[in-house]
Amino acid sequence: MGNTLFTVTGCTRCKIVKNFMNDRSIAYIEKDMKAEGKEDFQKFYAANRKAIYRGPEGIEFPVFLDGAEIRQGIGAVIAYLQAGKDLDGFFSVGTLHKEWVDGIHVSSGNPAYAEEFLAVLRFLKNVNMKLKVDTNGKNSRILRQILEEGLASLTVMEVAGPRGLYGRILGEAVDISEVEESIALTARFPRYQFRTTVAPVERPDGEVSYLTPEEVAATAGMIEEITGSKKQPYKIRLFRRGKEADDRLKALDPMPAEALFGYRSAARVHQVFTEIDNE
Amino acid sequence: MSDKTVEELSFPEEIRYHPEHTWAKIEGGLVRVGITDFAQDSLGPVVFVELPGIGDEFDKDEVFGCVESAKTVSDLYMPVSGRVEAVNHQLEESPDLVNTDPYGSGWIILINPRDPADIDNLLTRDGYVSLLKEA
Repeated sequence: MGNTLFTVTGCTRCKIVKNFMNDRSIAYIEKDMKAEGKEDFQKFYAANRKAIYRGPEGIEFPVFLDGAEIRQGIGAVIAYLQAGKDLDGFFSVGTLHKEWVDGIHVSSGNPAYAEEFLAVLRFLKNVNMKLKVDTNGKNSRILRQILEEGLASLTVMEVAGPRGLYGRILGEAVDISEVEESIALTARFPRYQFRTTVAPVERPDGEVSYLTPEEVAATAGMIEEITGSKKQPYKIRLFRRGKEADDRLKALDPMPAEALFGYRSAARVHQVFTEIDNE
Repeated sequence: MSDKTVEELSFPEEIRYHPEHTWAKIEGGLVRVGITDFAQDSLGPVVFVELPGIGDEFDKDEVFGCVESAKTVSDLYMPVSGRVEAVNHQLEESPDLVNTDPYGSGWIILINPRDPADIDNLLTRDGYVSLLKEA
């Protein structure tokens, strides 16, 4: 089976992907789901519905398939065309529209493919898209490159928690010096934001509990210490359990939204502009 | 939102309407259910209809399925309480029947109403059109 690109009439991102494929002589069949490709898309969608992301504004186009893999959204499709599965993790389907591209995760891909990842960002930037880049502190070397090349229009760093809990929260070994460097780098972007999710953490005794207000305050304090400022744009938000949550997380009651007020007060000791993220 | 004005859309007199844009039509002792012309036009090209199982029971105003288009996912609301007697399997192959013939071959379910008088509490054509114009 060859390459198929499902598009929709009037989709600028679809045109950008088509231009990318045409420029590189990548053969494909285009199927416009509002025109001649309607029936084919219906069949494809019915068969692959669980693999297709639907955001608040519906299905994100373009959708690419080559018989083995499906990729959706401008970033993920370009990345796959550029480097196959090597860039998996760096991109997810975004939810922003118009000139913005999100779903770009500096920390979630394999740093061995940093140059291929950066090449995708350069391409998107060169076609006048604005890039929203997410990081949790890992892969700080790539974040530095993004900063130096001016590739991001907005950088959001999820500062997972205080130093001592960082690895436990992410569920993997973390070089905290990388996290510290990413905090310092993030504060140098023209537009940026720090954010902490009040997430569940497995404690040394095996118990699972949410980050405490004191731990979020320590996180805000780490940002203050590294950036030298109490006035950073900093948001805290509720943890949203994914479908893949393990049994221990399922046993944990969801945190009520009003509980965040106490966290905000605690964090404001170190970051005076701390706000609750309701998005 | 719908691309057309209310006047450009079709709302048959002989059926009743739920405020959440499903319609109900009595056929013998059963009630056929679909979505309105306004709903299908607002959704745009429908790519999938999630149907309930035959025998499933729902209360009035309860969600019994959903319609997915390129633009959005929209829940389907029961216009009357009852048990599902049949579903339109044609929609599995051709979900766009909901767009092309919303009051005919694009019907969604056939229900055995718990209380046939429920249908009298639904909106008439004029009531539904007024609701759309107010929105």
